[in-house]
Amino acid sequence: MNLKADSADVAFTFKGGMLPMTVMELNSADPEQIRQQLEGKLSQSPAFFQHTPVVLSVEKLDTPNLALERICAVCRDHKLLPVAVRGGTDPVKQSAWALGLGWFAPVQEERARRLASIAAENDSAEDQAPQDTPDEVVESSGARVYRGTVRSGQQVSASTGDLVVIGAVNAGAEVLAAGSIHVYGALRGRALAGIHGNLGAGIYCRELNAELLSVAGNYKRLEDIDARRLGMPAEVHFASEQLEIKPLA
Amino acid sequence: MAKIIVVTSGKGGVGKTTSAAAISTGLALRGKKTVVIDFDVGLRNLDLIMGCERRVVYDLVNVIQGEAGLNQALIRDKRVENLFILPASQTRDKDALTQEGVEEILAKLREEFDYIICDSPAGIERGAQLAMYFADEAVVVTNPEVSSVRDSDRILGLLASKTRRAERSDDPIKEHLLITRYNPDRVTSGDMLTLDDIREILAIDLLGLIPESEAVLRASNQGVPVTHDASSDAGQAYTDTVARLLGEDVPLRFHQAQKKGILTRMFGGSRR
Repeated sequence: MNLKADSADVAFTFKGGMLPMTVMELNSADPEQIRQQLEGKLSQSPAFFQHTPVVLSVEKLDTPNLALERICAVCRDHKLLPVAVRGGTDPVKQSAWALGLGWFAPVQEERARRLASIAAENDSAEDQAPQDTPDEVVESSGARVYRGTVRSGQQVSASTGDLVVIGAVNAGAEVLAAGSIHVYGALRGRALAGIHGNLGAGIYCRELNAELLSVAGNYKRLEDIDARRLGMPAEVHFASEQLEIKPLA
Repeated sequence: MAKIIVVTSGKGGVGKTTSAAAISTGLALRGKKTVVIDFDVGLRNLDLIMGCERRVVYDLVNVIQGEAGLNQALIRDKRVENLFILPASQTRDKDALTQEGVEEILAKLREEFDYIICDSPAGIERGAQLAMYFADEAVVVTNPEVSSVRDSDRILGLLASKTRRAERSDDPIKEHLLITRYNPDRVTSGDMLTLDDIREILAIDLLGLIPESEAVLRASNQGVPVTHDASSDAGQAYTDTVARLLGEDVPLRFHQAQKKGILTRMFGGSRR
């Protein structure tokens, strides 16, 4: 369980996150040309250049060696903070690391690999499924659909993507998902969304009576839930550092 | 080919054995050749409820371990034709039961009987799992209180996953809800869960509703299944339950608070 530790002696916790990030797609490897064009942009919209973190994408360049240090210096002069480099050859990767920058695999290759790993996880999930899942489990694009009542003692999880339950989740049952959880029925058990740290995940249900609600480790117990929200359709999100429960209207 | 029906609940003390005795008696009274098996090894009760405790020689464990033949262990009911009891052992524990042994006994009984009623022990451990493993249908006994409903919910989850039908992906076990100890007056006053609450949470078909009744306690202590007490509300409710189990459409009774007449109010009459 990915619940936040209460104790004060935990120095840090690792959490996954999806942060907005500007990608600076380089079409030229010439630092001088970049400098001239940046100066033009800076005068147009100075608000953008506030030590904005950027990822330098060099995927479109086919130069094996790059004056990465000079390009970074140009960026910093114009209040852009390069934090990582995406794509490029092995020497580019090495020089990024030498400059204290992160390195991301190129998009095309990365997407292919991510899809492959999702497929592999889905396969293994299906192998375990008959153990404790009596009703039909349908695998569709990213969401796992469970039909029937999730009963006390049962656990239904979607290790990738969303979980959709068409039925009730009874007290003593637990539903988990990497993404959001949708319950078309009463939610009386425990619901943990965003189990891999996705703070954008939500929980939606027709009737809220959950023992526990959690989004990316931030949780509320039944006792903490505003009594006016109980027994009604509700949606749960992480907002302003806590779980926000709103009527589903 | 007999139908195997497990009477189960998860929680103890809700009326499993009373219901198993009453249902098997009711089936036999309807002319079905029925055997009721006590799976509660170590806490044998069914023989007391059926009033045959003085005639127990061999038991389920003796048969499984080959110390007695099946026909030696089966006790013929004295009141109804076609009804037999297979008692549990009081001196052993549940580890004495083996899946192969139970399967073999059920296979033999299947050829001779119309209905095999398995009286499950409380809990979700070995005894309870073996009682339900080979079942075709299940009667889940529930009292109108939250802990009983939650335990029944847990049992329904196990019925759908830890049984032979589930493991072989055959047609799932047919699940029936039997609500016992229902007291309409206490439901109205909010002390007990309502019929609708229970049905909504468990989401299975209602087989019967047995009102809380003095007749049940009397029947248990006398060793006469309450189905024989045709004048009692509980006896009638079990007769209705058996009729529904046989596929008949019988309207629900005893679920609404009775308006008290002048005489009952004056003399405080109790339910029979």
